Amino acid sequence: MILYDYALSPDCYKIRLLAALTGAKLTLRAVDFHPGGEHRSPAFLAINPGGTIPVMQDGTLTLTDSAAILTFVAAKSGPAWLGDDSPEMRARVAQWLAFAQRLSASIGKARTHDMLQKPADIVACRKAGVQCLREIEAALVERHLTGDAFLAGNRPTLADIACFPHSMLAPDGGISVDPYPAIRLWTRSVRALPGFIEMPGIHRLHDLKPEPVGVPE
Amino acid sequence: MPDWTPVALLRDLPPLVVMPVTVDGVDLALWRSASGRIAAWADRCPHRGMRLSHGFVRGEALSCIYHGWSYAQSGQCQRIPAHPDLEPPEAIRVPVHHATEAGGVIWVALDTVTTAPPALAGVQPLRSVTLDARFDPASAGLTESGGAWRGTLGGVAVAVLVQPLPDNRCALHVLAESKASPTDLVAASRGIETLRRQAEGVSA
Repeated sequence: MILYDYALSPDCYKIRLLAALTGAKLTLRAVDFHPGGEHRSPAFLAINPGGTIPVMQDGTLTLTDSAAILTFVAAKSGPAWLGDDSPEMRARVAQWLAFAQRLSASIGKARTHDMLQKPADIVACRKAGVQCLREIEAALVERHLTGDAFLAGNRPTLADIACFPHSMLAPDGGISVDPYPAIRLWTRSVRALPGFIEMPGIHRLHDLKPEPVGVPE
Repeated sequence: MPDWTPVALLRDLPPLVVMPVTVDGVDLALWRSASGRIAAWADRCPHRGMRLSHGFVRGEALSCIYHGWSYAQSGQCQRIPAHPDLEPPEAIRVPVHHATEAGGVIWVALDTVTTAPPALAGVQPLRSVTLDARFDPASAGLTESGGAWRGTLGGVAVAVLVQPLPDNRCALHVLAESKASPTDLVAASRGIETLRRQAEGVSA
C-alpha cells in the first residue's frame, strides 16, 4: 500500500495512525504540499486529478478520499476497526466518517489559513469548527452516560481515528479545545492505544512513559 | 465575591490529568495526582513561562511539557532533567491556590478561605459546558436554592453552578437529580445544549 503523504496533514496522519495501530505496512511517498504545491503538479494530477492528499495506491486501486482509505486499510489489516459489532455501531462509524469532512472543512481550513497562509473565511471556519467540537463533545457525553468510552461504542473504531486529529489540532487554527472535558479524556484514550504514533502538534502521553534517567556526560 | 468558584466536575479530572481553568480572570492549571490529590496552580512554569496545563502528571508531581521541570504538591520544583544532580533552589516554586472537592464538584479559591463550598445533596454530576455569552439563570427559568440554581432541563431536575469567565463567557457545571436514569441524563444533556443555544441567541 503506497500512501502519498504530507507530514503536517491531519488527513494523511489518520492513515498513518490506523496503519500503526493495525500493523499495516505503508510505503510513504512524501508530497511537498507546502511550499512546493506538488499536489498541483502534472505528475501528481495524473495520479489524483482532484489534487488532494492523501492518496493511496494498491495494485490497480487508487483511493483519493481519506474515509475510503481508512476503510480499505481496516478491511485489509484490522477489520475490528470497521465497527461491525451491531447495525448501530456500523452506522455510527459511517456517520463519523462523513462528519470528519466537516472537521476538515472548518478546523482543517482554519489551520491551513493560520499555518500556511491559505485563503479562507477564518471567522466562518472557526465558528463552524466550534460547532463541530460541541457536537463531538455532546456525543461523547451521551456515549459515556450509556457506558461507552468511544464515539461509536465501547471500543475504538474508524470513527475515533477519523475525528481525533482535527479535534487535537484545532488550536493551530485559533480554536480553543479547553472547553471540552469529554474530548480531553477521549483524546487521552486514543493516545493511550497500543501502537499509537505522533504527528507534529499531537504528542504521546508522557505520563505513560517511565521517568527518564539522567543524561550521561 | 464568593470564596469558592466551581471549576470542573470531579469525573472530568481523573488521576493523572491536568486541565486549564480560569478563576477571577486568573489562568490556572488544575491537576490530579496518581493518588487522587487535587491542586490548582498558576498556569505558568517559572522556568520559561510555558502553560503548565500543557504538562503531564507523574505520580504526585506535575511536569512542564517544555523542559520537563517537575513540581511537588507544594509547588516546589523538585527536578530539572537537564541537571539531574542539582537540587532545585527553593525560589523555583509555582504559586499554589486552594482546591477542594465537594459533592462531585471541584472548587477553587485564589486567596483566603473563610467558608466551605456548598455541599449539594441529592444530585449526581452530569456535565460542564462553556457558553460564549453571559448567562442569566432567572431568565432561563432557574431559581437559587442551597448554593445552586435549580430547575428542570429535558424534564430532569437539575442544579446548575455558574463559573464566570473572561470576555463575557461562562461555564455551567450541571448536576442532575440522583434518581435520574441514563436515558433521563441524555435528555438533560440535550436540554443543556438547548439552554446554551438560547443563551447565545442562536435560536429563540
